[in-house]
Amino acid sequence: MKDVILLLLLFFYSVAEAQIATDSIQRLDEVVLSDVKLKRHSKGYKVSVLNDSVLQRNGGSFTDLLRFNSIIYFKENGYGMVSSPSFRGTNASQTAVIWNGISINSQLTGQTDFNTVNVTNFSSVVIRSGGGSVQYGSGAIGGSIHLNNSLKFNAHFENTATLSYGSYDSKKASYLSSYANGKFSINLGLQYIDSENDYKYLNSAKRNTNGAYNNASVNVTLGYVLSDTDVLKLYHQSFIGDREFSGTINSPSLAKYKDQNFRTMIEWERHGEKVDSKFKVAHLQEHFKYFGNKNTKNFTFGKVNTYLINYTSDIDLNPFLKLKPIIAYNYYEGSGSSFANPNRTELSTTALLQYKPNNSWQYGLNLRQDITSSFKSPMLMAFDMVFEVSPHYTLKLNGSKNHRVPTFNDLYWQPGGNLNLSPETSYQVDFGQELRLNKSSLKLNTYYIKTNDLIQWVPGNSGFWSPENVAKTQNYGAEVGLDITKTTKDHNFSLQLNYAYTVSEDLETKKQLIYVPYHKANANLAYNYKRLSVFFQHLFNGEVYTTKENLSGRFYSVEAYHVNNFGINYQLFKTHSQHIDMSLKVFNLFNTAYENVAFRPMPDRNFNFQIQYNF
Amino acid sequence: MKKVILSIFAMSLFIVSCSDDNDDVIPTAPLGAYEHGILVSAEGGPSSISFISDDFSTTQNQVYYNVNNEELGVYLQSVGFNDDKAYIVVDNGTITIVNRYTFEKLGTISTGLTTPRFIAFDGNTAYVSDWADPYDTTDDFIAVIDLTSNAVISSIPVSEGPEQVLVNSSKVYVSHKGGYNVNNEVSVINTSDNSLETITVNDVPDEMFIDANGHLLVLNAGANQSWLNPPVETEASITRIDISDNSIISNMEFPFGQHPGLMAYDNGRAYYILDNQVFELTDSATTLPNSPMFSIETSYTYGMSVKGNQLFVTDASFTESSTLLVYDLTSGTLINSFSVGLGASKIYFN
Repeated sequence: MKDVILLLLLFFYSVAEAQIATDSIQRLDEVVLSDVKLKRHSKGYKVSVLNDSVLQRNGGSFTDLLRFNSIIYFKENGYGMVSSPSFRGTNASQTAVIWNGISINSQLTGQTDFNTVNVTNFSSVVIRSGGGSVQYGSGAIGGSIHLNNSLKFNAHFENTATLSYGSYDSKKASYLSSYANGKFSINLGLQYIDSENDYKYLNSAKRNTNGAYNNASVNVTLGYVLSDTDVLKLYHQSFIGDREFSGTINSPSLAKYKDQNFRTMIEWERHGEKVDSKFKVAHLQEHFKYFGNKNTKNFTFGKVNTYLINYTSDIDLNPFLKLKPIIAYNYYEGSGSSFANPNRTELSTTALLQYKPNNSWQYGLNLRQDITSSFKSPMLMAFDMVFEVSPHYTLKLNGSKNHRVPTFNDLYWQPGGNLNLSPETSYQVDFGQELRLNKSSLKLNTYYIKTNDLIQWVPGNSGFWSPENVAKTQNYGAEVGLDITKTTKDHNFSLQLNYAYTVSEDLETKKQLIYVPYHKANANLAYNYKRLSVFFQHLFNGEVYTTKENLSGRFYSVEAYHVNNFGINYQLFKTHSQHIDMSLKVFNLFNTAYENVAFRPMPDRNFNFQIQYNF
Repeated sequence: MKKVILSIFAMSLFIVSCSDDNDDVIPTAPLGAYEHGILVSAEGGPSSISFISDDFSTTQNQVYYNVNNEELGVYLQSVGFNDDKAYIVVDNGTITIVNRYTFEKLGTISTGLTTPRFIAFDGNTAYVSDWADPYDTTDDFIAVIDLTSNAVISSIPVSEGPEQVLVNSSKVYVSHKGGYNVNNEVSVINTSDNSLETITVNDVPDEMFIDANGHLLVLNAGANQSWLNPPVETEASITRIDISDNSIISNMEFPFGQHPGLMAYDNGRAYYILDNQVFELTDSATTLPNSPMFSIETSYTYGMSVKGNQLFVTDASFTESSTLLVYDLTSGTLINSFSVGLGASKIYFN
C-alpha cells in the first residue's frame, strides 16, 4: 500500500509541476463542483437535478425524496425501516449512491439503505440514469444517485434554522450555515430527527409498535484557497442512527439496529491553463449493530473501513478534446460477527475522453480496468453521444458495460461465503430525447439492460445457503419526464411528471422479478403567489410480485396504490436579509392504506408543522 | 388414486348403511373443513399452512389466513397437535392456538416465549423448546405451559439450542441441535419435578421417535462447520437409547462426510434421507443399511413424513411456492405433487 501512495504522489507532483498556470482565479467557479465527471462526462445520459428547494419540500428522508420525485422504486420495510431501491428494474445493489464523487454503497451488502442518509444537508441530489461503472465503479448498473455539497467562495454568510414537529411525536431540528470570505469557505449542516413512528395500521386495530427511530447527521464542507492555483477542500459526513425494526402486521418485532457512518475526504486541486488536477484521500467507515432483541445486550455487527487514494486530472488536449485519466487505489478492511477480518485491495485505472467537434455533436468514450485482490474484474467501457438537432431538441445515446462486485457478505459470510464468485456484468444501451421550450422540458428515454452472472444466495448441499453467479436478467422500459415552469409577475407555477414502464425479467423463466412494478408515476405541482406557496404530490406505484410465479393475491403480490401529499408554506416575515417561513404538510392526504412490502403497512394520514428562520 | 377415492366411497356407503341398520350408531359429523388431510407448514415469509385432503382431491393454501384474515408472523417453525387443537409455533415468540379442524383462532401464547421451536404435550401441560436469544448460549430453556390458562407457568433452563421435544411416560426428551452452534445432548426432564438428566450423543441431534420396542431413536446430523478455521466436522449417527436407564443400545455412525438431515418413523421403521436418497432402518437393526430404497427428485428437501405406504417430502423454495411430493414407499414412484407455501417445511396428518 505504501508503494502505491508513493507512486501516486510522484505522479501527482510531476503532472502538477508541469502545469502551473496564471489565469486560475477565473477558474474558481469550477471549484464549486464536487464531481466533475457528472458535469462534464455524462453528456449522453439522462441527468435530473433535485435542487435545494425540492430537498426542503420533502421531509428529509432520502426514500421519500426519490419516491415522489423520481422514477426509482423503493422497497421499504415499513416507514423509516430498511429501504432499498430498484432503478430501471435492477436490484438494490445495482444502484450506486455517490457522495461527492465517490461511491458509498455498503461493502457488506452492496447497497445503500436510503433511510440512513439525510438529504437536507446537501446542496443538490442528482439522478444519473444508466450504466456508470466506468466512472463510479461497482453497482452503477441501473443508475447512480449523487449527493453533492458545493462551496461558494464569494463573500457571504447565510444561515437556516429549522424546527419541526409532526404526527407520531416526530421532531426535527436542523441548522445549515454557509460562510465565505473569498479565500475560505465553509458549509455546515446539522440535523437531528426523532420519531416514535407508531402509526396506526389502517383497517386494523394494531399500531406500528416497534418502529421508533432517531438519527443525527453532520455535514461539513471546507474550502481554502492556498494560492492562485491551489485549493484545498475537506468534505465530511457523519450519520449516527438508532432504529427499532418493526415487524409484520401480526408479528411484532423486538429488533433494533444501530448505524454509524463516517465519511471524510480531503481534496487538493490544482488549476492550470490546460490541465486541472485533483488529488483525493478519503476514509469511509460503515458500522452496524443488530440487536435481535432490543432488551438484551447481545448483538451482531459488521464494520468496514475503506481507504481511498485517487488522482485525476482534467486535460484540454485541444479545444475539442478533453481527457480525464483517473487512477485510484482502494483498501477495504472488514470485521464482523459473521466473518473474521477480511480485507480487499483494488487498483483502478480509468480514462474518460470527451470530444466536441462542433456545437451540435459531442462524444464520450470511457474505459476502466480494475485489479482486485479477491476476484478478476472485467474491462469496463462506455460510450455516449449527443446530437443537438436544434436548440429545442436533443438526441442522446449511450451504451456501456458495467459491473457489480461481490460484497463482503457474498465472499466471506460464515457459513456460505463463496470466494469463487465473479462480478456481475451488465451491458446496456439507452436512447434519450429531450425537448426544451422556454422553461419547460420533456424527456423521453428507452433502454435495454442485460445482466449476466447475477449473484443469488441459493440453498446448498451442505445445509446452508451460499451465493452463486446463477441468474441472467434483462430489463427494458420507457420513461417520460415532463417539467413545466411558468412565471408571471406574481405567480410561479411548476409541474413535474414522471412515468416509467419497466420490464425486468429472469431470462430463463421470462417472469418479472419480484418487487419491480411495471408502472410507476408521480406528479409534483407547486404554486407560489407572493409570500404563499403550496404544493401537491401524487405517487402511483403499480402492483409488485412478491414471489417468482407472478401471481396476484395477498401471498403473491403487493397491491398497486396511489398516495398523495399536500403542503402549504407562508413567509411570515421578510426583510432583505432575513425571513421566517411557516409550513404545514399533510402526508397521505386521503388516508390510503398501502404497503411497500407485503404485510408491512405504511403510515396513515399524518401532519408536520415546520418553522424555518433564514438569516 | 382412483382406487383410493373408490375405497373411500365404498367405506362411506358402508358407514351410511351401518347407521341405517343400527339406530345406536350416530354418524360422525365432519369436524371441520380441514379434517382428514395433510397439513404442510411453511416458514414463509409470510408463513402459511396448506391443506391437502387425504384423498388428494382438494387442496387449499394459506388456510389460516383464509379463515382468520390475518397472517401468522415470521417464521413458522412447527405445529403441535393436542386433542382438537393445533398449536402453531412461530419463532418471533408466539404460539397461535387454532381448532385443528376448522383453523379458527382460539388464542395466542406469547408472554414467556422468545424464540420457540417445538411443542409437545403431556396431559394438560405443554413443553416448548426455546432458544431465547439465539446469540446467547446460556439462556436457552423449556417453557412449561398450562393449557387451561394458556400461560407459561415455569421455565426449565437447558443447554444450548433445544430443538425437538417428545413426551413419553412422564419424561420430556429434548434434542439439542445447538441453535446457531453445535450441541450433542439429549435432555431428559422428569415431568413430576422438572429434574433434568442428560444423554450425550453425536453432534447435532434433531429428530426423535419412540420405536415399537419403546426405545428412543435419535438422528444426529453431525457437525459440519466447513467455514471455521480449522473446519469442524464430526460423524453423524442414529442412536438407539434404552429409556429405562438412558443407556445407549446402539450408535450407528455414518461414514465421515455424510450428514443426513431428516428422519421419519412409522410402523416399526425409521426412514431417513441422505443426499436425496431414502433409506430404511428397522427397529432391530444395529447397523445402517448399505443401499437406499430409492431416490427422490428435489432440489432442497426441507421436510419429511411417512404415513402408511407413502413418503411425503417438501421441496422448499423461499422465492416462490414450494412443492409437496408424495412417493410410494414400496415402488419409490412419485404418486403426486402439490404446490404449497413459501419455505414449506413440516408435514402433519390431521
